[in-house]
Amino acid sequence: MPSLSSLSRRELGAQLAGDGIWLQTGRFVARLQSAVPGVADGLHLLYGDYPLRDSQGFADFHLRLERPKNLRRWFRPQVHMRYDGQADFLPLPYGHAFPMFEWGLNWCVSSRANRYLIIHAAVLERDGHAVVLPAPPGSGKSTLTAALAYHGWRLLSDELTLINPEDGHVLPCPRPISLKNASIGLMRGFLPQAVMSPPVHNTEKGTVAHLKAPADSVLRAHETVPPAWVIFPKWQADAPPTLTPLTRAQTFIQLAENAFNYDLLGARGFDTMAAVIDGAQGYQFTYSRLDDALDVFARLAPPAL
Amino acid sequence: MPGQTLQHRCWDDEYVLYNALSGDTHLLSPPAIHLLQQLQQAPAAEAALQDALCHAFEFDDGADPARETALLLDQLKKLSLIEPCPACLP
Repeated sequence: MPSLSSLSRRELGAQLAGDGIWLQTGRFVARLQSAVPGVADGLHLLYGDYPLRDSQGFADFHLRLERPKNLRRWFRPQVHMRYDGQADFLPLPYGHAFPMFEWGLNWCVSSRANRYLIIHAAVLERDGHAVVLPAPPGSGKSTLTAALAYHGWRLLSDELTLINPEDGHVLPCPRPISLKNASIGLMRGFLPQAVMSPPVHNTEKGTVAHLKAPADSVLRAHETVPPAWVIFPKWQADAPPTLTPLTRAQTFIQLAENAFNYDLLGARGFDTMAAVIDGAQGYQFTYSRLDDALDVFARLAPPAL
Repeated sequence: MPGQTLQHRCWDDEYVLYNALSGDTHLLSPPAIHLLQQLQQAPAAEAALQDALCHAFEFDDGADPARETALLLDQLKKLSLIEPCPACLP
């Protein structure tokens, strides 16, 4: 199966502007169409390792980003996103097209993949064990995830933890890591070798940039993993690294609060969450320095079951 | 309660309970779960439930079993897990 890097930037732009590309990210195939150069630039920079599926084949999601045909095509130009042909999203400034694509694809998974329990959490793997990192915006989750993904952990997702109710395993869906504001400069210094998209300013999340997912994570996106740890991270200025165990029941409740579709899944959601808790140890984690955090994570031992 | 289906799991003496009727999930103590299980079998008067609690658990010195039972029942009622039954009222 060819990867997106088999296309030159020119070929990619032409395909996107025409019938589109069928891009596989983890379990999902998205058909993407856009003549907006910023979308092709971002894909060419960050998605080279991802498989391309046969054109005209099945796609889970159909996304199109386009310039409006009204005055906003030229005056303070905007970009519209259509999902399955419907424009259900507020238009954004034209320069925000690539972040809009990223957010749009997240929306597709988080609102449509309801055969899985979906948790708003980053997730990574080491030695066959997954660590789930649920946290609200501003907690430093993506910064920590980026550091871990380039220091011995396999990135499964920066944003969405998908649990398969059939076996309780995490389904990888590795995508670029969304960095915001101060963490962009921080990670440029911490991961000088990593590829990052140009920052986009004045989005609703502030300044955002996307960090390329490590190639190994993308190539192993079919390898599912059982969760072994659920860690709620919180960055706090000058705080020493502190890992505080939670009871399993507390972990259950806090994890359920971070799920997108726990209520929707009903008893199946309860059983799936319980299976996660059976196999995983929960912690609160407070830290201020990434090096400290990497040390703590390197010493995590799988829970005794 | 009519139509109510409950599932629970216990880890280290803490219970997580799912109420399919409301879709809510609750973190409950062992005495609360014990009361709930008693009431799932049949409606019961508060005095009988107090006896059941005293039989199953040791109360701390100075604790008032009647008051503790009333508090637990009130909490379960506020969570819509139980409701007053006129036939059981004194």
